[in-house]
Amino acid sequence: MQLNNRPHRNIHREKITVGNWRPTVKRLWHYLADSQKRLFIVFLLTIVTTVVTIVGTRINGIVIDRYIAHARLQTLLAVCAAMAGVYVIASVFVYFQNSIIIKVAQTTSTQIRHDVFANLQHLPMTYFDTHDNGDVMSRLTNDVDNINTALMQTFVQLFTGIISIVGMGAAMLWLSPVLFAITLLATGATYLFSRGVARVTHQAFATQQSALGSLNTQIEESVSGKLVVQLFDHIDATMTHFDQTNHDYTQAAFRAQALSSIIGPFNNMTNNVAYVLITAVGAVSILGHWGNITVGVIFTFLIYLRNFTGPINNLLDLINTLQLSLVSAQRVFALIDEPQEQDAANARALTHTAGNVQFDHVSFAYHTRPILTDINLTAHSGDVIALVGPTGAGKTTIMNLLTNLYPLQAGRVLLDGIDVTTIKRADLRKLITVVQQESYLFTMSIRDNIRLGRPTADDAAIIAAAKAANAHTFITQLPDGYDTILSENAHSLSQGQRQLLSIARAFITQAPILVLDEATAAIDSNTERLVQSAMAKLMQDKTSFVIAHRLSTIQAADQILVIDNGQVIESGTHQSLLAQNGFYARLYNSQFETRS
Amino acid sequence: MFTIIMTHTHGKARIAFFLAPAIMLGEVLCDLQQPTQMAQIIDHGLAQGDGHYVLMHASLMLGFALLGLMCGATCGTLGSYASLKMGEALRSEMLTIALTSRDPAGLAPATLITRITNDVTQMQNLVMMVTRGLVRSPLLLIGGIVMSTIVCPDLAPILFVIMPLLVVYLLVIVRRSLPLYTAMQQAVDRVNRSMRENLQGAKTIKSYVLEDHQLTSFNADNTHLQMTSQKAALATVTLAPVIQLLLNLGVVIALGYGGSLAIAKTISSGQIIAFVNYMIQITTAMIQTVNIITAFSRAITSAARVQAVLAENPPAVSATGMPPVDAAIDFHQVSFGYDAAEPILANINLHIDAGTTCGIVGPTGSGKSSLINLLTRSFDQYTGTITIGGVDIQQLSLPMVHQQLSVALQDSVLFSGTIASNLRFGDPQASAAQLSAAAHTAVADEFIEPLPKRFDAPVAQRGKNFSGGQRQRLNLARAFVPDHAIVILDDATSAVDQTTNAQIKSRLAQARHGQTTIIISQRVTNVIACDQIIVLDAGKITAQGTHEELLTRSPFYQQLVATQLGGGRYAAE
Repeated sequence: MQLNNRPHRNIHREKITVGNWRPTVKRLWHYLADSQKRLFIVFLLTIVTTVVTIVGTRINGIVIDRYIAHARLQTLLAVCAAMAGVYVIASVFVYFQNSIIIKVAQTTSTQIRHDVFANLQHLPMTYFDTHDNGDVMSRLTNDVDNINTALMQTFVQLFTGIISIVGMGAAMLWLSPVLFAITLLATGATYLFSRGVARVTHQAFATQQSALGSLNTQIEESVSGKLVVQLFDHIDATMTHFDQTNHDYTQAAFRAQALSSIIGPFNNMTNNVAYVLITAVGAVSILGHWGNITVGVIFTFLIYLRNFTGPINNLLDLINTLQLSLVSAQRVFALIDEPQEQDAANARALTHTAGNVQFDHVSFAYHTRPILTDINLTAHSGDVIALVGPTGAGKTTIMNLLTNLYPLQAGRVLLDGIDVTTIKRADLRKLITVVQQESYLFTMSIRDNIRLGRPTADDAAIIAAAKAANAHTFITQLPDGYDTILSENAHSLSQGQRQLLSIARAFITQAPILVLDEATAAIDSNTERLVQSAMAKLMQDKTSFVIAHRLSTIQAADQILVIDNGQVIESGTHQSLLAQNGFYARLYNSQFETRS
Repeated sequence: MFTIIMTHTHGKARIAFFLAPAIMLGEVLCDLQQPTQMAQIIDHGLAQGDGHYVLMHASLMLGFALLGLMCGATCGTLGSYASLKMGEALRSEMLTIALTSRDPAGLAPATLITRITNDVTQMQNLVMMVTRGLVRSPLLLIGGIVMSTIVCPDLAPILFVIMPLLVVYLLVIVRRSLPLYTAMQQAVDRVNRSMRENLQGAKTIKSYVLEDHQLTSFNADNTHLQMTSQKAALATVTLAPVIQLLLNLGVVIALGYGGSLAIAKTISSGQIIAFVNYMIQITTAMIQTVNIITAFSRAITSAARVQAVLAENPPAVSATGMPPVDAAIDFHQVSFGYDAAEPILANINLHIDAGTTCGIVGPTGSGKSSLINLLTRSFDQYTGTITIGGVDIQQLSLPMVHQQLSVALQDSVLFSGTIASNLRFGDPQASAAQLSAAAHTAVADEFIEPLPKRFDAPVAQRGKNFSGGQRQRLNLARAFVPDHAIVILDDATSAVDQTTNAQIKSRLAQARHGQTTIIISQRVTNVIACDQIIVLDAGKITAQGTHEELLTRSPFYQQLVATQLGGGRYAAE
């Protein structure tokens, strides 16, 4: 995987490919493959109900021409009673047909959401670094919704439409070729018109969707960053900017919707014209005794016309939804197709490690921007390695390479002599516990948040971990204790308490290698002391990498690496580095500057 | 709901909203002419063999068809205009409310975001529907009934039996399905939250190999959504077939009963045909009405959720006071807490002279940040008085308060845009020199300068393209840009390294010399130089004084110094 081959940042300026729908449709169809049996039943039910409509309509005409015109009351009533019975059965069929479709559509959109989510879970970090949450969310929600709507509406109507068109077409042709030709002309006109409109509006719909993406990004960003917006009196400026985007979206949407809203009335008009022509031509034919047209035939045709163009009208009305959903499907599939981080073909399983880590001439670049150059590092089993250096020097990146979150550009990272890129990622990461600078806590109970470190852990283990991380006391003081649900709401936990929880989560993993990324930065010193002693315990049998600001942690390290500008500029123990009187010594002394 | 629509359509949009249905009336009337004209052609034209009569009425029908098209197209355009303009106005107002709301117990960001995005879209679709369908279908329905009664009064009783049955049935279904749609919306919220969290916590998930674990929990939410959506949809599934059936039976009865009347020569075939045609128009209109009502009930749920946000409209903040002249800060008997038994801050008395520095230290959860939140008026629910320059902050408007204070929070929230657009947050007019100076004080210049576009370098959403330490320094620089009397740093250098921290400390001392500065920090080195240091514990001030005073007076402070500075040089001095 080449880093610089990755697409550059493409925040909500996604180019939506216009034209080739076929692969998208094929894929949507593929999603329905599992429901084939049910769709087949729907198909059969649709045939029955449609045939009932076609035959029933013709019988209406026959009733007028033969039984009413010739005053055959008995037969008239018998035929009507029979028709009533058939209609009851047909309605039951329609009920089943619709129920099945609902289930199929829901199953399908659930499956699509699942596929998107499942793929998202395995995308490389670079994806998350370079894509906006708002845009991704909009694909997961709005776009999947659009597909769902299209599926729910399209299916029955597509089946009914096709069968009606074929069945009624045949019946009409047989009854009167002239009147059928009129019907066809009207239908053709609606079809051509809708297609023309669709072609014009497609691009407008695509613009509308991408404008919506950037609108949503702005909403998410400003609502989440509300406090800052308030403190800096930036509400007006934020709103001015938002109103512009909001206006742009409205314009794009208006262009798309105003044009396509003409489709409905136009169809209605052609329908009415066909209605007139059938009545008029039929009447003139009867008067002139051309062909075998009767009043009953006109009657039948008028109803056929409604049922013939009805499904077509519906199909064409669906062009809106369909277009939107195809654009949506493309956006969703693009997300499903995003390449996952792949283990090497011959990646090996690894369940144990002695904890010997070696960086061998490692270099790393991000979008061609060099981040790390020629990093060498050797950690023996049980060592404590401290990484110190200015922000942005590359300390965190070094640790990201250890867990194979990003691909190397040159060199190797070895675990017990094995290149980490040849180890299955899941195995590798299970052997290494990382406490991030800002570990993420999820909307679930405190207990479950800690349990994320080792999903099989029992409650006793969770409490033990919380105690070790010095989080037990404050947790038990909460009204709901370990069952407190962490929420996005403002007043749940302080930053420090959240950090304690993520440390508790780290305690529970029991992995042989530990990475602490500035984990103690936000904890007050009182708690920190307790955490440090617990950490020392935790580190005992582990190889530990600590990116810390606290000198007490660093002083105890077996080896200190001073990182600056993506390079190791000094290394040694605390004493030897002080003796060198270089960068580290300056760093150490700066800690004690007081009033100048 | 109507109120929401009314208050969010103005001028042209309001006119469009009312004009669209009125014009739609034209299309409906045109449509309703067709079967009557047709019956006349059959009964008069055909019966009397009058070809001229047939053609005249046919041309009339054509005219109606074209007029209908014009009305329909105009209505559609006006309808989308009205609905989109309303959506635009709603989004704008809701976001303003979301941004101005200061209620800590208010709606969570996730649901706010869903409401501003999805629910507004639903409302938008609703208005589109109202302007076209909700007028067209019922009118066509009523018009159909009226016209068919006129054309053939003998058959009208059929309608008078079937229609009430249908209406009752509809009401039952709609009432049953409403709560189900509410449940569905909640399920949607849950799935959305799960998705958002997994996006934001991607690195945590990878580090702990939680991909499958998270997928399992997502699947539970996803399946729940599937079930609730299905339930909601299935609750309305009988509607279409029942309507279809009742009206088909109506047609059969019309033929049977009407046929027997025709045989008795009471009515004509043309009348029966017209009646059945109206019946079909009524069926179509009825089904459309039902579809609209279903969509309507969904949109009502959305409207309620939108209304809840609009109802949060924060009360205007009174501002009777004049802006303070100096930057002295006083807390007098201030207490604050959500639960009276466990106050977050209790009986705080504090005086900070204008032009002095004040450090605040204390354990996690001791109330340090709450102190600042009260001063910035992020929360107003406290007892006691807080003054700036002798003026009670409750007498000041929020902008007045915020123009006194510049705050750098620990959480470095950045916005997509450029570095400059982020730094100018507190002062849109700030000059390039001001930005440079602020960046210099925050020691952000060292990574901004090498960027090819320097201050115009792009910042991604949440500042994702910068490291934690860099984000924090931009956050800091942002607070230094406006020329405000008071600067508050709420643990704002927690993620930067020692060297940078020391640099920031000395540059800050220079830049803010003689100006009021409050520094909350976990690091004792950051507050050592302050004129006054406050030790907070469990919401109370336990000690107060200079570094030297506290070393002798406060056991907590002694311990803090011992842990952080160890037996280092300072103790030896």
